[in-house]
Amino acid sequence: MVLSGWEAVFFWVFSIAAIFAGLLTVMARNTIHSALFLISALVSVAALFILLHAEFIAGVQILVYVGGVMVLFLFVIMLVNVGSEERGSEEIFNRPRQVTTSVIFCALLVAGLVYAVNKGYEGLQGRDQGKIEAAAEQAQSRDRNLPRSATGTSGITNDSQRLGGVLYRFGSLPFEIASVLLLVAIIGSVMLARTLKQEAAVDDVDPDVLQKEATHDAELAEVQQEPIE
Amino acid sequence: MHRYIWLVPLLPLAAAAINGFFGRKFRFSEKLIGGIAVGSIALSFLITVAAVYSYAFSSYAMWPETYVTSQDGAFKFTWIPGGAVRQTLGSEERLSVSSEEEAAKKRAALPPEQGDQPVAVAVTDVPRSSVLDVEWSYQLDALSAVFMLIVTGVGLCIFVFATGYMHGDPGFYRFFAYMGLFMFSMLVLVMGSNFLMMFVGWEGVGLCSYLLIGYYFERQEAANASRKAFITNRIGDFGFALAIFAVIATFGSAQYSDVFAQARNYPLETLGHWGLLSWIALGLFIGACGKSAQLPLHVWLPDAMAGPTPVSALIHAATMVTAGLYMVTRTNVIFQHSQTMMMVVALVGAATALFAATIGITQNDIKKVLAYSTVSQLGFMFMACGVGAFAIGTFHVMTHAFFKALMFLGAGSVIHGMHHEQDMRRMGGLRKYMPYTYLTFLAGWLAICGIIPFSGFWSKDEILWNAAATRYFSVGWLVWLVGTIAATCTAFYMTRLVAMTFWGKERFLDKHHEHTPEHEGHLVDDHPAPVHHGDVPHESPRSMWVPLAVLAVFATVGGFVGISTAFTGGKHIGGRMNIVNFLDPIIWNPTTRYFGTHEIVDSYGKPLERVGEIRFGLVTTELEPAEAPGPYGREGFNLAHAVESKLHNETATEWVFIIISLVVATSGMLLGGLFYVWRPHLPDIWAARLRPLYEASYNKYWVDEFFGWAVTRRVMDAARGVFAFDSKVIDGGVNGSAWFTRLSSRLTGVTDQYFVDGIVNAIAAFVIRLMSPLFRAAQTGFTQNYALVMVLGLVAAVAMFFGADIMKAVRDIFAILL
Amino acid sequence: MQFLLPKLFSPAFALLFQEATGGHLATAWQKAQHPDLSKFLIIGALLFIIGVAGVLTRRNIIVIFMSIELILNAANLNFIAMSRYLQDTGSVNAVAGQIFAVFVIVVAAAEAAIGLGIVIALYRNKETIWVDEIDILKW
Repeated sequence: MVLSGWEAVFFWVFSIAAIFAGLLTVMARNTIHSALFLISALVSVAALFILLHAEFIAGVQILVYVGGVMVLFLFVIMLVNVGSEERGSEEIFNRPRQVTTSVIFCALLVAGLVYAVNKGYEGLQGRDQGKIEAAAEQAQSRDRNLPRSATGTSGITNDSQRLGGVLYRFGSLPFEIASVLLLVAIIGSVMLARTLKQEAAVDDVDPDVLQKEATHDAELAEVQQEPIE
Repeated sequence: MHRYIWLVPLLPLAAAAINGFFGRKFRFSEKLIGGIAVGSIALSFLITVAAVYSYAFSSYAMWPETYVTSQDGAFKFTWIPGGAVRQTLGSEERLSVSSEEEAAKKRAALPPEQGDQPVAVAVTDVPRSSVLDVEWSYQLDALSAVFMLIVTGVGLCIFVFATGYMHGDPGFYRFFAYMGLFMFSMLVLVMGSNFLMMFVGWEGVGLCSYLLIGYYFERQEAANASRKAFITNRIGDFGFALAIFAVIATFGSAQYSDVFAQARNYPLETLGHWGLLSWIALGLFIGACGKSAQLPLHVWLPDAMAGPTPVSALIHAATMVTAGLYMVTRTNVIFQHSQTMMMVVALVGAATALFAATIGITQNDIKKVLAYSTVSQLGFMFMACGVGAFAIGTFHVMTHAFFKALMFLGAGSVIHGMHHEQDMRRMGGLRKYMPYTYLTFLAGWLAICGIIPFSGFWSKDEILWNAAATRYFSVGWLVWLVGTIAATCTAFYMTRLVAMTFWGKERFLDKHHEHTPEHEGHLVDDHPAPVHHGDVPHESPRSMWVPLAVLAVFATVGGFVGISTAFTGGKHIGGRMNIVNFLDPIIWNPTTRYFGTHEIVDSYGKPLERVGEIRFGLVTTELEPAEAPGPYGREGFNLAHAVESKLHNETATEWVFIIISLVVATSGMLLGGLFYVWRPHLPDIWAARLRPLYEASYNKYWVDEFFGWAVTRRVMDAARGVFAFDSKVIDGGVNGSAWFTRLSSRLTGVTDQYFVDGIVNAIAAFVIRLMSPLFRAAQTGFTQNYALVMVLGLVAAVAMFFGADIMKAVRDIFAILL
Repeated sequence: MQFLLPKLFSPAFALLFQEATGGHLATAWQKAQHPDLSKFLIIGALLFIIGVAGVLTRRNIIVIFMSIELILNAANLNFIAMSRYLQDTGSVNAVAGQIFAVFVIVVAAAEAAIGLGIVIALYRNKETIWVDEIDILKW
């Protein structure tokens, strides 16, 4: 799977962008900036996905991850109070001890991981050398034979078709389970984010706790006095 | 027919079992119970008669050999099998002599005074095994034949009497069950072929005596008497049992044949040489004293009169008390080996005879007089055995059974007729009211006084003659004298009894009276009107006086089987019918050292006809020349020889003694008549004059009181002492150990609580104090710390997998760099 | 940023090192012109490390969540790269990696929803988003 030509250029551009965006996500002071930097990191990674011939996943990443999750993140950021950070009086990093230890560990990790990847890839290469070269030939001929899009600028792959076929044939059970998982997540998040007043309105609060909270909050006392039908 | 003697004990046992187990449950009528009991005894008697006839008098008679049912397989049951008892090798005196050299050695080893004795050599060696094999088989020989006839014959009469006497008693079935059991035990005793069977019978009759004396068990007096009888009996049984153990240990067997065949080869033990056989004889004699009420152990017999009268007649006159005599006669081999024991037996017998006779003079209860008379006559029997006249002793058993049972039954008839009045002072003149009883009682009275030709004369006279003529020891004259005085007393008190009961005026018509204890046992069935004292006494029913008549006939003519040789010219005539001849094979002769008077006894050869000729006998009448030594060597003074030396005629010597005994008997009777018929005021005068003697006699010489003080109370004191020891020392020890346990448990508790728990708590606290800060430090609540730890784990994983390679690469880099 | 630079330059460091050992720069340039699977994996590893660093060092809980999203993306990148490699060296239908990535995205979405719900509830109770102020589990 050797990239060459413009693909290589794109690879380097988007990979640098992803790393850069990731760094800035971690290091930005403003939480909104962090979120935006994360969005750009995600988009870069989507571009890398396209380079890896996983167009569908790239699309899913943009739609779901960026379009759903990150939007959610932005909503929550704006829900919680971010004023103090903007004024820049709060510390954004932990205590030095924690930070130092983390950095040391991460340094060790990165050294190990990089070494491991290189070493592993050497072995992999040694094992699959012939196959890689043959596959490279094949891939090139296949790419040339792809049907062209309407505008004639790109070829239309059948990655989605392939993925869909395998997913719905061999991964249908995990698929269903994933949908149930999402349902559970929806219900869970609704439940977790209820206010006390909302809970009292559906009679889901312990009476003692309600009593205690009602002394702080007048509205709660009103809810408490609603007759039970 | 003698093969069937095993039926003889079995029939009474079966009758007893049926009566005992089913009599009450199925409500047998009195007739049925009586029929079963009497029928069984009658059958036994008939079988006995047939067996004795076939054994002794038929054409294929076995007499003089012993017949044991195991010989021809008629009845043999291995009771205690071999291996159950292992014996040690026993005493060194066990002989295995089988040759002339041995005989010579033995002769040289004898004490000097026996130097000129013939020494016997055993013809056959008796095999000695080291395991004891005891069989249950019945023996029929002369002695057991005589006793079987007595037991079943007299027993039959008494059973018939008892059906009439016990009429109306609610425990009728129980009575006959116990009586049947008694008959079984007594028959086993006399028919057993070994010592252990005799012991079984011995204990069995003791048990039945207890059961029957205590027949009226609701009465305290009867219960006490039965207990006393049993315990006194048991004291004797202890000696008997020790003797049996010694016999088994010495001779290796319990069978009579084995024991006696070996015993006859043992050396004689003269006076002053107390040896093994003397010990055995002593144990046996102690048993006989207990069972046959000789001097120190006689105390139970008068009290045993608390039982019903048939019981007194059967057990305490005719049969059980003679068991001791049977045993002594059976083991006469052993007794005759020991001169000391023979003397002891004779002297004890004589002392008992006189002792009891003097007590009988003063008693007022009719049954007590008869009881003391029984004790006295038993003394006579032992006297006979002691002086060596064993056959005469058995003869006296027979005649005594006749006349004493007769008199007891007669007394029972009197008591029954007098509505259970037993005190003679309230009787009198009964001869008009109870003629059959009176006439039969007269026969018994004359027999016991020893008047010719009644049976008692023959036996008593022979005893006294043998006592005077005995070669066994030198104090025969003393025995004779004591016996004569006792005979005088016997005549006196029996005449007194007859006079007070049957002659004179009727004292029972006096209004003032007391109740006797036996009153409750008698129901009113045979008296339609309610009874009062002062009513006319009546004759007993036929079931009661017919046995009396039968016994009276025997008491009159039964003595002729033992006619003294003085009357027959020095010989025992009648062949086997003469009891002395009949019993001859079982009597051992210490001079010839053989049984009987045969020279050589061939164990299984044809017996020779023995009529009259007694050449070596000590047994009765033949007065040997004074120069011939007795079996124990030269004895001292011999009364008969002294008389004979004056008269120079044996027969005349014997006649002298006969005349003397007749004279004393008659004078006793006349004296009794004087005191109680012609001069009735004399007894009180003489009682006052001889007050101390009278008191001693009336109070039975205070023997019971002495035993109570010396034995009973001392035993109770010992029991109290043991109890005190147990409760203070032993219980004190137990309680002390309990206290100690509690104390130590308290200590352990305290130690555990403070010391051990303290250590545990200290260790736990130390650990907690050590570890808790560490653990607390890890719980920061700061999530990112936890995440850091996770990353640390990841680093460790990577290091584990790639650490080696990475270190190598790093080293390479540095190597190249540097 | 200063302490991240050495990591950034680690490929460059290797290049330098190789050059010091004698003329491997050309090979490096050659290699850079043709990035292969290993490059993708290294990019993924770097993104992962950055995410881990963010989780461990930031105080803001939202930023911690976003760093977690970075980690998940790095894992996705690994999956997709290996899937492509398998497609290249095996059959064209070896899309297991992509399927895995789909599910990772699904789970990430669900987890983000729940987590942010918790953040909301936590903020309502504690009025803070600083993680070091939320130490209720402290002993």
